[in-house]
Amino acid sequence: MRSTNPYIPMPVEIVKITDEVDTHDIKSFRFKFLNAQDEARFQYLPGQFAELSIYGKGESPIGIASSPTEPGYVAFTVQRAGAILPGLVTAALHDMEEGGRIGLRGPLGHPWPIEFLEKKNLVVVGGGFAFTTLRSLVTYMLHEDNRSRFGDITVIYGARTPGLLCYKEELAAWEKRSDIKTIITVDKGNETWKGREGFVPAVCKDVAPSPANAVAVICGPPVMIKFTLPVFFDLGFSKENILTSLEMRMKCGIGKCGRCNVGYKYVCSDGPVFSLAELDELPRDF
Amino acid sequence: MLKKTAIHQLSDLASALMGKGTLVAPVREDAGFNFREISDAKQVDLNFHNTIISPKSVFFPQAEDFVRYRTGRPLQEAETVEPEGKPLILFGVRPCDVKSFEIMDIHFSGTGAVDPYWQARREAATLIGYAFDVTAPAEPEEFYQTLGIGAADPEGSDIFMVRRGDDLILKSITGKGEALLAGIEGLAGASADDEKFFDDTVAAGRNFKTRFTCVDAKTITKKLEDLFHNTDFWEKASNACLSCGVCTFACPTCYCFDICDETLFGQGTRRRVWDACMFTDFTLEASGHNPRTKIYQRLRQKIGHKYSYHVRKYGVISCVGCGRCTRYCPVSVDIFSIVEEAMKA
Repeated sequence: MRSTNPYIPMPVEIVKITDEVDTHDIKSFRFKFLNAQDEARFQYLPGQFAELSIYGKGESPIGIASSPTEPGYVAFTVQRAGAILPGLVTAALHDMEEGGRIGLRGPLGHPWPIEFLEKKNLVVVGGGFAFTTLRSLVTYMLHEDNRSRFGDITVIYGARTPGLLCYKEELAAWEKRSDIKTIITVDKGNETWKGREGFVPAVCKDVAPSPANAVAVICGPPVMIKFTLPVFFDLGFSKENILTSLEMRMKCGIGKCGRCNVGYKYVCSDGPVFSLAELDELPRDF
Repeated sequence: MLKKTAIHQLSDLASALMGKGTLVAPVREDAGFNFREISDAKQVDLNFHNTIISPKSVFFPQAEDFVRYRTGRPLQEAETVEPEGKPLILFGVRPCDVKSFEIMDIHFSGTGAVDPYWQARREAATLIGYAFDVTAPAEPEEFYQTLGIGAADPEGSDIFMVRRGDDLILKSITGKGEALLAGIEGLAGASADDEKFFDDTVAAGRNFKTRFTCVDAKTITKKLEDLFHNTDFWEKASNACLSCGVCTFACPTCYCFDICDETLFGQGTRRRVWDACMFTDFTLEASGHNPRTKIYQRLRQKIGHKYSYHVRKYGVISCVGCGRCTRYCPVSVDIFSIVEEAMKA
């Protein structure tokens, strides 16, 4: 019998590893649960995260990249940390192969507010590797059971170079669909790149999505967010209709360990999804 | 139910309590008093003012194992350390520290996810509170009166004790306390005069003078929100702060913890250990980003959390005025003065 102790991870097995980028430091991992009851209990929605747990190394909170409309596995896109600090868990995971086993705690945090998003036009803006839970959201909305619940969907996704775009095959598939407008951009192209060049904020300004009945969901590096937000304000999006997902160092993921405290919120259990209006209520301490 | 015992027979009472469960009580140590599990009834010593480390460690130990694992072995073989709920008697807790448990309960088991370790220990514990001596002056660091806590408040205890000369008067406050008190042989019945003394002490405790400043939760919450961007204020307040974290470890309501794996010779333990928002790597992210690199930012977080964020999240100030943070601070950073200054801002 497995305990319901929230600090104890569930065992999962790696069933697929995808090398996402040409620098090989971002990989997607698909896991299947080793116990059926764990899988049944792991009911999640796009925007939530989980702790990836490797005994002897530790735990890392990572956004869920798969969508609940993709049964049989749960996926995470993980960057090998280490450019600045040694990332014990992400390095160990990157060194594992299919068939390897780790632990999983979750799902944790609040998802993108699906009910709030229903019947609205969605503008999904992502930069680089921060696209993971947005990939989950878009996949969820595009599912045949869900597509009619949402209005127009516009995706604006950018990376520094073509080789740093994640989920390349899916992006190509989205570009062919008529029920989603997909705009891919890179800061700087190469000899084979035929797509758009330009920074995400400039592309957003160029695309100029209508704020009418629309919600913008924006995730990316701080510098991208900093220059993208004014574009959306100028377009007429209100702070209630701009959503993002906050990062903060975490340990427990269930609102107990105090680490991700920002003002009166815990990013893990009160977030990580916040509207800009909610963030305005918090001290700038993140 | 009201009982009493002569103070020189304290070890008899301790022996009787040890028959009812694990007894944790104040013990004299080299540096001062601390709560310890009692193996010899004679160790129990009530000639203390308050302990160095708060009794939170009884329910939230400084290090607590979650899992024991062996490297290279399948994950499923790891052994979960389940929460333990063995009967425990926590003896001689001062009223301000009793209050701290109520505050910690809101966080650990009353709101959101339940922490099974905290909850199991709390539910299995009987709390025996102990009034401060209301005839002697308070210690200079104490300010529980500011927070509406009396020196002899019995609320929150299962049994509450008041010292009367060479006697110790024990009164059951809850059904749990009454059941325990009724089961202890060798206690004398208390007189009507003892009862009056007990009630008078409780009343005197309510007017007992500690450091005092007028603080209401709503006002200080707002004041600290407004002061957040006043860097001058926080730099001045943290001028001497070493960011050593002593204040958080001694504090009865600081609950931040780390979860870490410790492996030696293939055997490992995943455990939680106390952590402190005063440490620079507390908020250091893998990317290198750290929102609180400066000491003033961390002291602002600690005080903001206790007197503002916690109030807005849980409705109560997360401080009981025990004064430990000031008493043990190596450079005398004084939370009371900072709060007092914030109220004037």
